[in-house]
Amino acid sequence: MRDEAAFVEFAASARERLRRTAYLMCGDWDRASDFVQEGLVRVYVRWPRLVRNGGELAYARKAVVSAYLDHARRRSSTERPTEPDPALASAEDVATAVVDRQTLMAALAGLPPRQRACVVLRYFEDLSVAETAALLRCTEGTVKSQTSRALFSLRSVLEDSPSGEQAEGAVSW
Amino acid sequence: MVNELRELLRDASSAPPQAPGDLPAVLRSGRRRVRLRRAGVVGAGALTAGVVALASVAWVDPAPEDLEAAGIPRPAGPTVRLAESRPAVEGTDYRDVTTYANEDLDADNGQYVDGVTDDGLLLFRDGPRSDQLFPRFALLDPATGEKDWLPRPDVGQAQLWAVELSEDRLVLVSPDDGLVTDGPSAGLTAHVFDRADRRWRSLAWPELRRASEPWGAEVGPDGRLYVPVPATRGKVPEGGWPTGPGGEADDADAEGDTFDLWSASLTDAGDVRDERLRVGAFDFDGDSLVWTDSSNGAAGRVHVRDLDTGEETSFDPRLGERCNLLGFDVAGDRIAMSQYCGTYGDGVRDDRVQVVTTDGEQVVTVQDDGVDGGRLVAGGDFLTLTAYGRASGGTYVYDIGGGRLLRLSEAHSSWAVGQGPAPGDLFLWNEPAGRVSEVFGRSGARAHVSEILR
Repeated sequence: MRDEAAFVEFAASARERLRRTAYLMCGDWDRASDFVQEGLVRVYVRWPRLVRNGGELAYARKAVVSAYLDHARRRSSTERPTEPDPALASAEDVATAVVDRQTLMAALAGLPPRQRACVVLRYFEDLSVAETAALLRCTEGTVKSQTSRALFSLRSVLEDSPSGEQAEGAVSW
Repeated sequence: MVNELRELLRDASSAPPQAPGDLPAVLRSGRRRVRLRRAGVVGAGALTAGVVALASVAWVDPAPEDLEAAGIPRPAGPTVRLAESRPAVEGTDYRDVTTYANEDLDADNGQYVDGVTDDGLLLFRDGPRSDQLFPRFALLDPATGEKDWLPRPDVGQAQLWAVELSEDRLVLVSPDDGLVTDGPSAGLTAHVFDRADRRWRSLAWPELRRASEPWGAEVGPDGRLYVPVPATRGKVPEGGWPTGPGGEADDADAEGDTFDLWSASLTDAGDVRDERLRVGAFDFDGDSLVWTDSSNGAAGRVHVRDLDTGEETSFDPRLGERCNLLGFDVAGDRIAMSQYCGTYGDGVRDDRVQVVTTDGEQVVTVQDDGVDGGRLVAGGDFLTLTAYGRASGGTYVYDIGGGRLLRLSEAHSSWAVGQGPAPGDLFLWNEPAGRVSEVFGRSGARAHVSEILR
């Protein structure tokens, strides 16, 4: 049974959250919308089976991440961007600005796609290592190593910024 | 710093520009992809043709649809409408053996009842969910509530369907887990739990790789797993399906799909064979194999083969001219066929659950807008079905001998819980539970294991 009304309600309700996740991975709201749209189409196709076991949101998240990673794979082999993205912070921004959105997005943009996905899923979606591994279809060890490398890179960027001092009592990366 | 990173991530994405109104595009693409997939690999039990438009039509108007006014033709035999039902009375018409509620499936998956064993124990499944990433199973005694946890099966996070819950073994099947990647199919997998040895064994067959969906797989009377492997696909008409009143593609009167019937031993992974029989939908009833020529579209004829003697008969089940066969269940010398037969007037659907005997006699057809899921229970003496309209939604039971249509509930849960085989007069159904949810009507679902009271 393809309950289209239920799907529409689900899609309308989940879309913004998914879009934020996609944006954090790709750094562009328009492309994030594209990934969400592709992800929701995949959810639609699988909807009857998802409803059967109540895994709609988890599957939708997985579908969006997959759409992003698929695109990243294609892009890495076919596109060579030559102009800097004006939406991202420049090196000078990183050096001078406080830790703000642009700094973070620039730092994220410097990560390989799977590392970026690990960071977003672990620290924005608050998924566990095991959940992230299940979603990315890799081992927990891979998630740990990818996340560790990503955090090392992010720390080197973010802690160089003026507001990058480690907060009192903050958890070490 | 991790906490700071969390805050930064939230802050960085907290002010999105307005999203384009892209849901219509999602629906268009989704429908197109479903149609393409429908022409691809669709299992006999996962029949999708014709159901795409149901909810968007049925949920708009809470009043029951007037099928006569819409010009919907009447079926061949005795016909019942949902409006002719009366509320079922617990303690008189049925009794709950047990119920199990998940109050908030919106937040996470929960625990599920996946069927009842022949000796009356519930197959209880916990997960997969965030705190229980991989499912674990127990046999639950409904009289005491005591759970006998089974060794964990190696099934990953695959969705599982019970196809046999006997005193000797539990047989579950799962699809390939290509999931989002739509990657190469790992094929159909069966997971068999030997209740004496308390051990799971998983079997997969390279020959059945094309049967990547578990729907339609049945355990035959010889204990083998029978699997429909896609053979031919119904053609989409030149120029695509006509568009109905609501702008939906209406694929009533579709050509059916066919499948080659294969069987595999559930004890010897090397024992798999082509049964040299092309079927549409199929099911077993005791020592009889019952099948149609095609499904997911036109049904063709119904065939009945006595597996002991090899004697075979066939008949025209007299589906309506535009009817697509979407569901098929056989028990007690009766056959239940769920059908979609077109959309009429301002969007009134002609949905049917038709019951005939294995001799071809018309028993009854429940016909209404938004009804499906016909399943024979209690040895084929009763028919359960599901309705989706706002005015008529819920679970129903039709007493075939008594000619009574009983309404068990006034709503059907969006969450698929309470599904699976059940012996004797037991049957599973569900209803919404939990808080009001914007997305799913209710945040949870209550599964019922009930017994027909004769």
